[in-house]
Amino acid sequence: MAFRACGLRKTYLTGETEVHALRGVDLAIPAGEMLVMLGPSGSGKSTLLNLLGGLDRPTSGELFYRDTELTRLDDKALTRFRRSEVGFIFQFYNLMPSLTAEENVRLVTDIAERPMDPAEALALVGLADRRDHYPAQLSGGEQQRVAVARAIAKQPGVLLCDEPTGALDSATGIRVLETLARANEELGATVVVITHNVGIAAMADRVFHFLDGAIARTDVHEHPVAASEISW
Amino acid sequence: MKALDRKLARDLWRMRGQVLAIALVLAAATATFVLSTGVHRSLTDMRDAYYERNGFSDVFATMTRAPRSIVGEIAEIPGVRRAEGTIQQLATLDFSNRIEPVRAVINSVDEDGRTRLNRLMLRQGRLPQPGGVDEAVADEMFAKANDLGIGSRIDALIYGRRQSLRIVGLGLAPNYIYAIAPGDLIPDDRRFGVLWMGQAALEAVTDRSEAINALSIKLERGASQAEVIREVDTLIERYGGTGAYGREDHLSHAFLDNELMQLDALTRVIPPIFLLVATFLVYIVLGRMIRTERTQIGLIKAFGYSNWAIGAHYMKFALAIALLATIIGSAAGIWMGQGMTRLYAEYYRFPFLYYVIAPSVFLGAAGLSVGAAALGALGGMQEAVRLNPAVAMSPPPPPIYRAGGVERLGRMAGFTTIGHMIVRHIARWPWRAAVTVFGVALSMGLLFATMQFVDSSRTMLDSYFYRAQRQDLTVAFIEPRNADVLHALAGLPGVLRVEPMRAIPVKLSHANRTERTAIESAPEGSMLSARIDGDGNAIELPPAGLMLSKQMADKLSVRAGDRVFVEMLGGRRTAVFLPVAGVIDEFIGERVYAADATLERIARDGAPVASALLRIDPAERKRLLGKLKEMPVVLGVTERDAALRKFEDMIDENLFTMLGFYIAFASAIAVGVVYNSARILFSERVHELATLRVLGYHRSEVSVVLLGELALLVAVAVPFGCVIGYGLAHIMTDMFSSDLFRLPFAPSRASYGYSALVVLAAAGLTALVVVRRVLDLDMVRVLKARD
Repeated sequence: MAFRACGLRKTYLTGETEVHALRGVDLAIPAGEMLVMLGPSGSGKSTLLNLLGGLDRPTSGELFYRDTELTRLDDKALTRFRRSEVGFIFQFYNLMPSLTAEENVRLVTDIAERPMDPAEALALVGLADRRDHYPAQLSGGEQQRVAVARAIAKQPGVLLCDEPTGALDSATGIRVLETLARANEELGATVVVITHNVGIAAMADRVFHFLDGAIARTDVHEHPVAASEISW
Repeated sequence: MKALDRKLARDLWRMRGQVLAIALVLAAATATFVLSTGVHRSLTDMRDAYYERNGFSDVFATMTRAPRSIVGEIAEIPGVRRAEGTIQQLATLDFSNRIEPVRAVINSVDEDGRTRLNRLMLRQGRLPQPGGVDEAVADEMFAKANDLGIGSRIDALIYGRRQSLRIVGLGLAPNYIYAIAPGDLIPDDRRFGVLWMGQAALEAVTDRSEAINALSIKLERGASQAEVIREVDTLIERYGGTGAYGREDHLSHAFLDNELMQLDALTRVIPPIFLLVATFLVYIVLGRMIRTERTQIGLIKAFGYSNWAIGAHYMKFALAIALLATIIGSAAGIWMGQGMTRLYAEYYRFPFLYYVIAPSVFLGAAGLSVGAAALGALGGMQEAVRLNPAVAMSPPPPPIYRAGGVERLGRMAGFTTIGHMIVRHIARWPWRAAVTVFGVALSMGLLFATMQFVDSSRTMLDSYFYRAQRQDLTVAFIEPRNADVLHALAGLPGVLRVEPMRAIPVKLSHANRTERTAIESAPEGSMLSARIDGDGNAIELPPAGLMLSKQMADKLSVRAGDRVFVEMLGGRRTAVFLPVAGVIDEFIGERVYAADATLERIARDGAPVASALLRIDPAERKRLLGKLKEMPVVLGVTERDAALRKFEDMIDENLFTMLGFYIAFASAIAVGVVYNSARILFSERVHELATLRVLGYHRSEVSVVLLGELALLVAVAVPFGCVIGYGLAHIMTDMFSSDLFRLPFAPSRASYGYSALVVLAAAGLTALVVVRRVLDLDMVRVLKARD
């Protein structure tokens, strides 16, 4: 099991109103799977992703990554967990505008325990010839692929993707998804993808359907389709 | 309140740290302005009122002895409104419980109250009455320093006669606002005082029945002072007149004038520095604010607000800072002004001295703050006005970085990835980096220039007291003596060596310039005196001709090789042309030197001994001082160590107070600049910092991005600050130098270090405050929110 959780709750205080983002989630995500999380805005997907990635702590409940209880880790240990195990990909890329494509990847390989060569990571996402370009000189899809390269370069145990194709057109989006699938197959990383695009669910081994801060339904696909075959 | 104004109020509150930091820099400008112009004005107003009310005269003259009837003749000179004759007599006072000698100058007053010029202002008691032969009024501060009161008795040695004086009043007069003993530099109220005695009584004790030795003259409005002086000089020449002079050469007036000039210099140098920094700060902070509020500006414009309304909104932001600065700065300026005025009251004798709160000073201060802030706001305002609403409402394009020199350099130098981020960010916004560097450098420069003042004073002190003066005691005589007196002194207990100091009063002329002064000499091979130039070298007296101090040479506009016309005042009144053999770069006074032989040539016979320099055995000091006190020819004794101590006290008290202010001010600049740079840096990079945290960078590693850039800029600023400080110190020493003394430019190396340390500490602490934000960074929230 990559992750297992029991009774996860997360309550935010925004202003004077309490927001119950997660209302007691139990889950198990097998290692090496590709998981897609679907659901309307505010249903708790991103909150769960942040908890899985060690960016945030639950209000109550238990969360394990392999044998480590994430809920018991202090801030330093959580940082170490992110550093060695987690690759993040965001809707808006979050690249450093002052660093070239290769240097953005290097940012992660500099501190990772078993990194690949940054050039190799860029080659994996098909950007070997763009390594010296700054983000401002790359298209949206290229920027997102740099972000994917940055996430996989540390050879993470888990890749967490929050709307990775949300800002991309279909052709570019599919290229990005193909790269994610490759990381899943070749590196054996567990991949978790949040999306509003129901089509993407077809390529997942497992699908969580979120509603009102809880997992309403789980689908398991015996034969997930290839990224190139999904309907956008 | 309109909605836009409400936004303004909230923006000010939200950005209170930055607003306050800029306001403090502006407040430093306001405070210095309010301090120096306020004190300048208070001093000038009170001096003028005092001069007016107590009839401070315009022209002064002294002579050996003239019949009282000369006063009538002087009054007849066209342009003279009033003339009065008095007796001014130097005397030694003998306090039975003190071994060190005390000197006084005794002035005559008309017992019938007819004195109009330089009128004594009584603070306590009464004036001497007719027939009160032993009655005297004492200078208030002298009395206080020596525990004298009404009814106290003092034994005085006046004109070789012992006389017991009874204090009947305490007072002060406008010609002794700054009262120092002849040859001294700063007042020492325990060792020198001013007394007033009835005219008849002083005539009797000085053998000057119906005679005077000093003249005070008040001029008609518009009268030519030079013309009157010429006529007075002709009249008093036969009575041993040593040349009449105007207020500018009057010691008390000149010292006060010097102080006013320094205050004026302070106003002209310091506030512009702060104003400049504040203008830049407003410029960068408002610029950043407008960039972050792009969307809001677009929206507001879309609602139908005019460009003018938007521009005014941001201008008001700057003006609010200026208003805050004016309030803080004025309050601080008043507080410091009151403190400074109290300090002046210790050195200057005014009947009343308080800090006048003049509305025009505050209006001026407010004008400066508003002007600087408004100037800084113009750039941002223009940007806000120009924004096209449609463009503004779409998110801003990402900052564009391209490969350039800095990138190549960084790659060659093998920077880490974080290192690249830091250096490229600086290269991307070079102007803002320049403002930070410039601001921090100015702060350090200001600090250095102030610290240099202490070094400068110490160098001056060292040159004057340790190198030039090697005697222990200087003995002044009641009137110039011949060389016999040296033998008498050599025979006293504990005297190891005696050297004469000869001096003759002269008038020097070159082209159309004329100066009254004295030519001093020292014996060949003198061991107790030396003339030290600006580099600390002892300069020998020229075998022929004169050696002028640089200030005197400048005043006469002469160089080595020129010839000056020398007229002896008093004595044989010889007049000769003498060459300027050399110019010496001295720190104190405008002096003229010549070898003994040259002096004899002018005086036509053995030049009189004005004073004697003594090296003594410290073990015999008390006995020797006791013996000197008993010698009728001795007017007074100056102990070098006591004068030195007094001088050092003054430096400690005044300069260190000033230094305290400037450390605070310079820190305000450093804090203001670093805080604002750090806040802007943080707001610009908050997404990057959060991303780094997500990628697994620890808080300390992420802080490096912020601190690294600031540290790099501050590190660049330090050497730059040394250069600015060097220049600023030069300008300030020049501006603060006067006829009375010239400040040397002599920074110690430690001053570079100390000023760097203060600035580094201020910058470091400020940066830490901002770094706290990195530590508290909420990754999730930051990454969710776009700019």
